[in-house]
Order: sequence, then C-alpha cells, then structure tokens
Amino acid sequence: MSEGPTPSEMAKRPEQVARLLDRLRALNLAYSPGHHGRWSAARRAGLFDVCLRELFAEGDPPAGVAMVALGGHGRGELAPLSDIDLLILHPGDRPAEVAAVAEKILYPLWDAGFAVGHAVRTVPECTAVAVERLDAATAMLDGRVLTGDEAVWREAHASVLRLVRDEPWAFAGRLLADAHERHGRFGSVSHLIEPDVKEGAGGLRDVCSLGWLAAAVADPGGPEGLEAEGLLGAAERQALDAAQEFLVRVRSALHLATGRATDRLYLDQQAEIAHSLGFADEPGLRAVDGLMRALSEHARQVEHVVANAFNRFLEGGSQPEVVPSPEGVLRAFASLARERGVMSPATLDLIDAVELPAPVEWTEGVCEAFLEILRAGEEGVRALEAMDRIGVLERFLPEWAPIRCRPQRDPYHRYTVDMHLLQALGGMARLLGDAERDDPLAVEAAGLVSDGDALLLGALLHDIGKTGEGNHVPASARVAAEALDRMGLPEPTRELAAFMVAQHLLLPDTATRRDIGDEDLVLDVAAKVGVPERLAALYLLAVADAGATGPLAWTPWRAALVRELVTKVQRVLERGDMGTETAEQLAERVRTLRQLLATEEPGEVDRFLLRMPRSYVLTVPPDEIAAHVPLVRKPIGASEVRTISGQGSREGTFELTVVAADRPGLLSWIAGAFTLAGLSILSAKVFTTEDGVAVDVFEVEGLFERDVGEERWRDFRSTLRKAMEGRLRLAHGVAEKRKRYPAPRDEFPIEVAVHNDASDFFSVVEVGTTDRIGLLFEVTRTLQELRLDVRLAKVATYGSRVVDAFYVRDELGRKVEEAQRIDEIEGALRARLEGLSAAPGAPPALAPSAS
Amino acid sequence: MKLVVGIVKPFKLDEVKEALREIGVAGLTTTEVEGFGRQRGHTEVYRGAEYQVDFVPKVKVEVLCGDDQADGIVDAITKAARTGKIGDGKIWVTQVEEVLRIRTGERGADAV
Repeated sequence: MSEGPTPSEMAKRPEQVARLLDRLRALNLAYSPGHHGRWSAARRAGLFDVCLRELFAEGDPPAGVAMVALGGHGRGELAPLSDIDLLILHPGDRPAEVAAVAEKILYPLWDAGFAVGHAVRTVPECTAVAVERLDAATAMLDGRVLTGDEAVWREAHASVLRLVRDEPWAFAGRLLADAHERHGRFGSVSHLIEPDVKEGAGGLRDVCSLGWLAAAVADPGGPEGLEAEGLLGAAERQALDAAQEFLVRVRSALHLATGRATDRLYLDQQAEIAHSLGFADEPGLRAVDGLMRALSEHARQVEHVVANAFNRFLEGGSQPEVVPSPEGVLRAFASLARERGVMSPATLDLIDAVELPAPVEWTEGVCEAFLEILRAGEEGVRALEAMDRIGVLERFLPEWAPIRCRPQRDPYHRYTVDMHLLQALGGMARLLGDAERDDPLAVEAAGLVSDGDALLLGALLHDIGKTGEGNHVPASARVAAEALDRMGLPEPTRELAAFMVAQHLLLPDTATRRDIGDEDLVLDVAAKVGVPERLAALYLLAVADAGATGPLAWTPWRAALVRELVTKVQRVLERGDMGTETAEQLAERVRTLRQLLATEEPGEVDRFLLRMPRSYVLTVPPDEIAAHVPLVRKPIGASEVRTISGQGSREGTFELTVVAADRPGLLSWIAGAFTLAGLSILSAKVFTTEDGVAVDVFEVEGLFERDVGEERWRDFRSTLRKAMEGRLRLAHGVAEKRKRYPAPRDEFPIEVAVHNDASDFFSVVEVGTTDRIGLLFEVTRTLQELRLDVRLAKVATYGSRVVDAFYVRDELGRKVEEAQRIDEIEGALRARLEGLSAAPGAPPALAPSAS
Repeated sequence: MKLVVGIVKPFKLDEVKEALREIGVAGLTTTEVEGFGRQRGHTEVYRGAEYQVDFVPKVKVEVLCGDDQADGIVDAITKAARTGKIGDGKIWVTQVEEVLRIRTGERGADAV
C-alpha cells in the first residue's frame, strides 16, 4: 500500500486526490487482503474515474479533447498498486493548452505517489503508434473514455479496431509471438516456484490476450464473442473466468502484503498470501502448497484455453468422431494426437456429454486407445493435457488426481508432479524414437527394448505416488501397481512397467551415492535388475526422468556416473556373473543359511552376510558357510590362524578353510605351508571380508598318504604361523622339499597370459604348466612380489597339468591394463616357472592325481 | 585464514561432510566437478557402443577456516575420503587474504 500522506502534504493536496486516497484506503480495508477480486478491482477503477473526471473538468480543457483510460484501467481492473495509463486525445490545433490540462491532471497524482503513465495524441497519431507498437495497440483496444469529447475517442478506437480486424491473422500471430517472448522472459505461472502472476505463461496478461483476439475476430468481442465464433467452449470460458478471478485475488493480495507493485510471488510471501486467501495446512499438503497448487491449476487452464482459442483461429479446430463410450472418448483424443490438432468446442461438448463412470472400466479397447495416445509421444502428451484440463484423464486414471498440480519443493524440480510425469513420458517417447542420437548409450538401450509400451507407462507413472507423504518410491510402486493391474495389460508389459516404477531411482541413487568401483555393489544392482532389457529400461527412465526434472538434474557429471554403472552392470549380466537366476540362487542360499543358523541371533547372521563378499555366498555351500560363522565372528589376532576341516568333494580329498588376518603374501604362505605339511592343493577359493579377514577355502589331498588327520592340520597351522611371524623361510623349505623328488615325467609348455575382459574389477592371470611340488606357492609368491592382490584363485589339475587362474588387482585397486605392466607380469611368472622346470623335483609318480 | 580445497569421490561426500561436522566445521561449499589426475579418463562400452569418458566426476569441497584449523580439516577429509584405491582425490590448502561476511560486513577471522 502506498504510504499515507503527512499532514503538511494534505494541506497542499487537491481535495479530489485526498478523497481518492481516503476512498482507496477504505476499499483496501473493506475486505481481507485475500478477497480483492475483480469486483474490488472494478471499484478501484471507478474511484480513479471519479477523481480523474474532476481533475479534467478543473483543467478547463478546450473543445475536442477526451480523456481515455487505457489497459487495465480501461478494462476496469485495477489491482491495489496497478499503474494508471491515461491517454489525452486532442484535435492537434492547441497543443499548449492541452499540455497544461495534462499537467493539471498528472502532477497531483504523481505528488500523491501514484504511478501514472500518459500519452497525449491526436487520432492519426493513435493509428500510427498502434501500427508500430503492439502494446500501444492492445492498450487502446482496452481503452475506455472517461470524459471529454467521446466522438474523438470513438474515431480513434475505430481506427485501431480497423487495423486489427483488417488483418486478424497477422494480429493473432503478433500476439502469439509477443506472448512467446514474454513467457521466455518471465517463465510459467504453473511451473515456477516463484511465478510472475501477471506476465508469466498462464498469467493475467494471457487472459487479456484472449480479449484482444476477441476484439480482432469477433463482434462483439469478449469471451462471449469468441464462444459465438466457435473459438471457445462454454466450459473453457467458465474455467477462464474462475482463473482470472483467482489470479486477480492473488495479485491484489501480493500488492497489499508487500506494499509494492510487484507481480512475482516470492517464496517468503507465499505463506502470508496463502493464509489471506484462506488456505490452511492439510495432511500431506501445506497451506502454501495448497495456494501454489490452486495457482498452478488456474494458470494451466489459462494457458490451455488461450492456446486452444488461438490455435482454433489460426489452424481450425479438429472434429474427430466421438463414439459415446469411454473407449470412444480415448479414440477421439488418440486421433487428435495423430492429427496434431486442437479439439473444436463442438467436439468438446460431445465429449462432455459422454457418460464416464469414475473410474472407467478398462476394456481391451480402452487400454489399446490409451496406449495409442502414449505412443504418439509429444502429441500424446498434449492430448493427455487436453484430457486433464477437462477432467477426463482422472476418470480413466483416478491415481492422477492427487498429484495434479502438486508443487515439488526441492532445488531440482521445476515442475509440478503431474507436469513432470508428462514431460518424462514425452522424453521417453523421444528416446524410443530416434530423435536423440547424441547419447550412444540411450540408442543402444532403446534398441534392446522390445516392449516400448511398458517404458511409456513406466515413465508416465514413475512418480504417481508422490503425494507428499513418506518415501515416494514405494508409494509410487504401490499406486502404479494398482493402476497397471486395472489396465488389463499383457503380463510382461505390466511387470516391466511396475518394475521400472519401483526401481526408478536405483541407477541414479547408486551411481551418485555409492562406490561403483565395488564389485559387490555392481552385483547387487545386477541382482535387482536381473536382465539386460530391464537395465536398458531403467537407464532410459533415468534419462527421461532427469530431463523432465530440470536443467540441474541431468548434468554431464551425473550422466557420466550413471553410464559407468550401467556399463558395469550390463557386462555382469552379459557374462552371467549375476542375473535373474543367480539372484534367485543367492536369495535361496541366504534363506537356507538363515534356517541353518536359526539358533543364532538374526542380527548376527546379517552382520556376517554384510561382511562377506557376494561371490563367497554364491560359491561356498550354505552348510559350510554356517560352519564358518563362528570361525569368523571373533576379532582375529595378527598371526592367528584358524582352520576348520571337512570332507572333500571325493574320496581322499579334504576341504580346509583357513581364516587369518589378510595381508599381502598370505596366499603364498598358505600354499607354502600346505606344501611343507605334505598337502597338495587341488582347488582354492580366496575371499576377503569387508574388514580385512581372509577366508580361504582349499581342497587338498595328502601328497603321499590318503589319510590326513588333525595332527597334520595342526602342523599346517604352526608352519603358517611361523611363516607369518617371519620365523620360517618358506621359499627355502619348499625348494628343499622339491629337490628330494624326481622331476615330472611329462613336460607341458608354460603358458602365461593376462586377460582383462573377464571382469570390470579384476585382471585375470592365467597360468598353465606342469604340476610340481609347491607350484601354487611359487606362482602366488611371484604375484605378491609383483604387488598384485589376489582376490580369487581357481586351481584346476588335469593329470599332471595345472591350469590356474588368479583374479588380481594392483596395489591401488586397479585392473592391470598397461601393456608394459602386463609384459612385466607375464615375464616374471614365466621366468619363475622356467626356473622350476630347470631345477629337479616334482610330485612323485605315486601321488594320486586330480583327474 | 586458509582455504582448504578437497577433491573427493562423489560417494564419499556424506562421510566427508559428517567428519567435518564432527570437528566443528560450521560451513562448507561443495561443487560437482569433473577432471582427471593420474586416474585418467577411459573408454566405456555398452553393447558395442563405445563412448569416451574424458573426465571423471568428482566433488569439490571447500572450507574456509582459521590458520590453526586447517590441519584438522585436512586430516578429517583425508580419513573420510580415503578408500586406498586410485582416484581418491587431492587436498590443497591456500592462504586467504581477506574474508568478508556480506550480511554483517564483518571482515577477517570474524567472518570465517
């Protein structure tokens, strides 16, 4: 509100202006700040009219002069701090006198703090300026003569009207271009969290633009004229009317609350405005969100109705056939999407007359027609918007109602929930089409998808449960499942869409918040995803979702992280390391393990499983795992060795699990200790817990005798402990032992190779050679000298030939990929193995072989 | 006054934030950044589609502090951000000439 005048100013102030100020103040106080709608705005304009007429009369104007209110004042719509825009029309022969009259009117108003714009023109000048400037033309279209020579105004107004009526298409085009430019500058009332209720898209200026269109194309003008011309439906006119009233109230409340002529609804004013307009906190919807929701709702109607009217005028309305049934209504919108058209008001009336139960029953035809709309991409989105605006969409999809126009208060989201979903649908349609070729991953992913309908549905529904209560992902999964069930979709489509909704944050959340260099994490994601098509679906949804969120959501930064995760998971799925079957197997094993450990405290089992790598749970049988639990539970000392022994896979072999604090070289010490204890290693599975405890499972057999008892294990443990404590030189002991036995009879060629395609996390070192005493010790010792960390060892013996594979990483946890380093590794291993074959010593011919 | 700048792995941000909070750091600035160090970029392959990742996504953490706090902050970031693997990032400390709190106009140590 403008500040009241001080007493000394009152003295100088003309009484007409003082009266105006009093009356305005009284008007502002007559209603609560939230109830200054169009009636109040018209009343305010009337108060100005009275004052201006009095000032004009006092100025004693010459003949042929008229005073005209332009723009909002002309329309009789003045918000508390709206500008006043005046036109003084004159014949042109006595400019000095006219200027004096203008001054007498304007100065007292300016002195009182009113923002008054003015123009002094002749009729030809009015025409000229209207040709030149669109805003001047529209201001005069809204003009209303206040006093003076009405004939001269009629002449001026008629000349402006002629201008726009002579070329209504050009004028409509100019209005649209101007609106487009304005929307670019001020954004949208329905989307922005701090909207400009006057200039934004869907704001009051757009309502005005319909009036200007009406002036140009209908006689009489106004919404009724547009309706008579078939450019506006009756329901649309009502929606526009309600929206205008609401927008005027918000704008007036904003003026009264801030005391400034501001039209942008900033966050810190929203609570006060919400309160003054009567919004109260509701469960799941705060008062401010209620205000913004209502504002968004109205602004969208304005945008929609105004766009409809302009498009019908410029392109003609579509009149698709409407079979009076739910399916018929959807078919009409589907054909609208195909034609890229706008429903004519007559067709809207036909649709309005169709009885749509709430909710509509989804027949096969309804489902097919709905999918047809989705498949239309961008045009389908427009058709859905059109359905939404006339309240038809929620008849088919009642789940839509709670998220309509719901604001999202976070720094990422630009759009309301429903708008976001429609944008995501449009984005998904583009990804599935061939519009976006700049993301090779998306192109490949789209190529992998065989069920596009599921992806469109997943995009449309992914946030359907975002109603402000609780975590929106499970809520959306639940709500989407209900909706999808009702639609009667083919089972695979329903399942994939439901999966997408339930897991729509899996990729972005994992990629940005977790360590994607962790193999188990990637395996877990692969287990959740199961098959490549689902992974592709989730990636496309992540892209579409982010694109529909705002420019901050899909940055190259985020994209790089998500893509890296996707490529890793894809390779895990391709290799079969993890997939639907493996995931089920994993779950089954965990279930069995829990049964076996039923007496343990459940939390204990969980803690154990968290510490162990997935590959351990997948490769070690549950009954063995159950036996390992007590072995691993207690913290382990630096040189402590725990073992547990059991039957091997066949007669005469044994399984020994060795638990010790992990450190570089441990595997080679274990191998060496086995050799010294007279045990031959048939297979080795090496695992490390989260907290650095080695749990290594070996299958061994006696080098010389089949029976191996507790005494031998004790022997092994004490040898290993001595080696760990540095009291025993294993290399020496093993070499001595080897010397005592003859060399093997068959010699196999030495094969050493480093592979990098078997895993994203490890390089695989493959070694093939003739079996010898202490071979595994020699190989693992070499790997340790090369500062390679062995995560998994697969040892296979074929007669007297051995093929071992070691999954290794370098000291920084990287795969070994540089050619030079690979050469070094291959060279070192080859040299060591060649050294062995040159020296005497091999397993005795008596030793049972593994074949 | 000093400015401690840390480049850390994205998934370590929460831990770094928490570690800094524990030693009483009241404010910090984070930025999503991309770059490369020894880790370099790499080529990713998805179903035969190759794309080059030239820059690795990281998070930059900046903390403005008094001279005596810098060491503690460096320690806290190091401990929280360390995985021992390649790409754990870097921390550097620079001298700050002047600091001004816009709201109050306070300068120097008062404004930190």
